[in-house]
Amino acid sequence: MRLWTPLSLAAVATIAFVSVPASATGAITCKSGPVSGWKSQKALTDKLTKDGWTLRKSKVDGGCYEVYGTTPEGDRVEAYFHPVTLEKLYVSRRGEVLFRKTGY
Amino acid sequence: MLRNILNKKPTFWALLCLPAAVMMRPYFFGDVIAMDMLHPTGEWSARFMIAAMLLSPLLALIGPRPWLSWLIQRRRALGVAAFGYASLHLIFYIIDMGNLDDMIAEFLALGIWTGWAAMLLFVPLAVTSNDASMRALRAGWKRLQRLVYPTAVLVLVHWIFIHNNLGPALLHFIPLVLLIAARYFFANRTIFKGA
Repeated sequence: MRLWTPLSLAAVATIAFVSVPASATGAITCKSGPVSGWKSQKALTDKLTKDGWTLRKSKVDGGCYEVYGTTPEGDRVEAYFHPVTLEKLYVSRRGEVLFRKTGY
Repeated sequence: MLRNILNKKPTFWALLCLPAAVMMRPYFFGDVIAMDMLHPTGEWSARFMIAAMLLSPLLALIGPRPWLSWLIQRRRALGVAAFGYASLHLIFYIIDMGNLDDMIAEFLALGIWTGWAAMLLFVPLAVTSNDASMRALRAGWKRLQRLVYPTAVLVLVHWIFIHNNLGPALLHFIPLVLLIAARYFFANRTIFKGA
């Protein structure tokens, strides 16, 4: 039993410690204001599809629109767009940033 | 009667398949795509691997217990389950990526090649997880199965770097590291006392 006490304490302390900062997985964040001022997600996906992207998935992440898909150049990427301007902010594939707008 | 059923090996296999059944459901109904299956399959693979690895240090620390012996008798099944979920993980990765060029393009990312390497090391572990291999390899079997330690390190690095996030990976691995450390710490103390 005297073995279990320090062990379980250490375990619980560690779990508490690592659980706290478990958030913010996004590569970048956008200061995009209230959602009411955003263009719709569909407006973005329609535009990208028209531009030659193949999209697998899109969602909101860190106040930006985040899409997973293939660029017109044929790269399989994860990309971030500003929800108000729909401007391209960040494009990466695993382990490599392909594009990052200055300031982001 | 119930006890008998619970103690049957097929019951344990069914139990190990349960998370797969739960996670595959939305995929077959088209509610999620292959990309969404990467996280749950990988996480369960790591969980089963860690579960299998916890048993030896636990036994060394707390001594034989009925429930622990029950699990140790089923340790190979836990390892094979880890391999099974890792295989699902790889299959969904291939479906998600869709072509070889994109997989090659990101192969050298730290979060990617470690996953491939872990999968590669999993293969000999899984194919020798049977009585015939144990008999054939004798003492070599245990040495071969120790490949699970470098595999675990690869899995940990894969997990951290694919997510850009320490939390969930450490949450799973810290109990294992603590137990392994405790095993060596207390084992050394016992030797000191005996000497």
